[in-house]
Amino acid sequence: MALCGPAWARYAHGLRLGALPRPGLCGARGVRGSNPFTRQQEEEWRRRNRSAVGYIAAAAVGMVGLSYAAVPLYRLYCQATGLGGTAGTGSDGERIERMEPVRDRLIRVTFNADTHASIQWNFRPQQSEIYVVPGETALAFYKAKNPTDKPIIGISTYNVVPFEAGQYFNKIQCFCFEEQRLNPQEEVDMPVFFYIDPEFAEDPKMAKVDLITLSYTFFEAKEGQKLPLPGYQ
Amino acid sequence: MSTAMNFSAKSFTPRPPDKGAFPLDHFGECSAFKERFMECLRQSGYESAACRHSAMAYLECRMDRQLMANEPLEKLGFKDLISEKSEEKPEKS
Repeated sequence: MALCGPAWARYAHGLRLGALPRPGLCGARGVRGSNPFTRQQEEEWRRRNRSAVGYIAAAAVGMVGLSYAAVPLYRLYCQATGLGGTAGTGSDGERIERMEPVRDRLIRVTFNADTHASIQWNFRPQQSEIYVVPGETALAFYKAKNPTDKPIIGISTYNVVPFEAGQYFNKIQCFCFEEQRLNPQEEVDMPVFFYIDPEFAEDPKMAKVDLITLSYTFFEAKEGQKLPLPGYQ
Repeated sequence: MSTAMNFSAKSFTPRPPDKGAFPLDHFGECSAFKERFMECLRQSGYESAACRHSAMAYLECRMDRQLMANEPLEKLGFKDLISEKSEEKPEKS
């Protein structure tokens, strides 16, 4: 039975379906006949839809642009606040001059020395440990000997454990990241002059840390070989 | 040790030293000062604060022999030792 127009509306209402579009079978009038909205309203909606699409597209483009801009902005923010271990601008002589030792945090710094398998130096620390406080500069020594009869050029890198404490461990001067040449049968003292940042005492994550291990590793520097050194030339 | 495969854990990035590298003391010119410093460390139970005078002497030796860039010792954290010295001097003379 083909119900169309108002008859269909009554039927749908009887089924508690409310307004239900009736496709197809009702002849030329079809769904349009039961459309209660005027053409003007339809056009209004179409216009609003278009502007909404425009706004959404603009927002999407804006998000993409923000994600590109975020990289240099975040870098600036990190440098300004020193988050994530980025070296802040201003870590130099004035800072060292002004810093005060924090006497109630005694930290034990142990020293470790390693050599890569291919380098034949004897490399070892001259003290196994040293007790320092944050905010005070300290000196420590390593010793290296070249037991062969050929000059050997070595280059070293270092590591600090625990990793999070490494951002507070500042070396004023040491012997790392530069080629060091040892003549045959030569033995030299290699000093490390460092301090632990006084802000170490204020970091809640470092409250339980009282042992820091400084570990140096020496590699042999071959001609024309470029080691991936951290931005240090 | 610091392979980059763990994205959640912080890894260690080595930083270059503030003032660069110490030139090697090939001729052992400052070894005497170093020995004095090490002796002081051993006697004080490896406490750095007790041996800062010897550390300052060692660094002064390096600076005198061009093994270290000349730098006022206050900038190296020895401000309190310098002011002690300058207090002693007018007392002595």
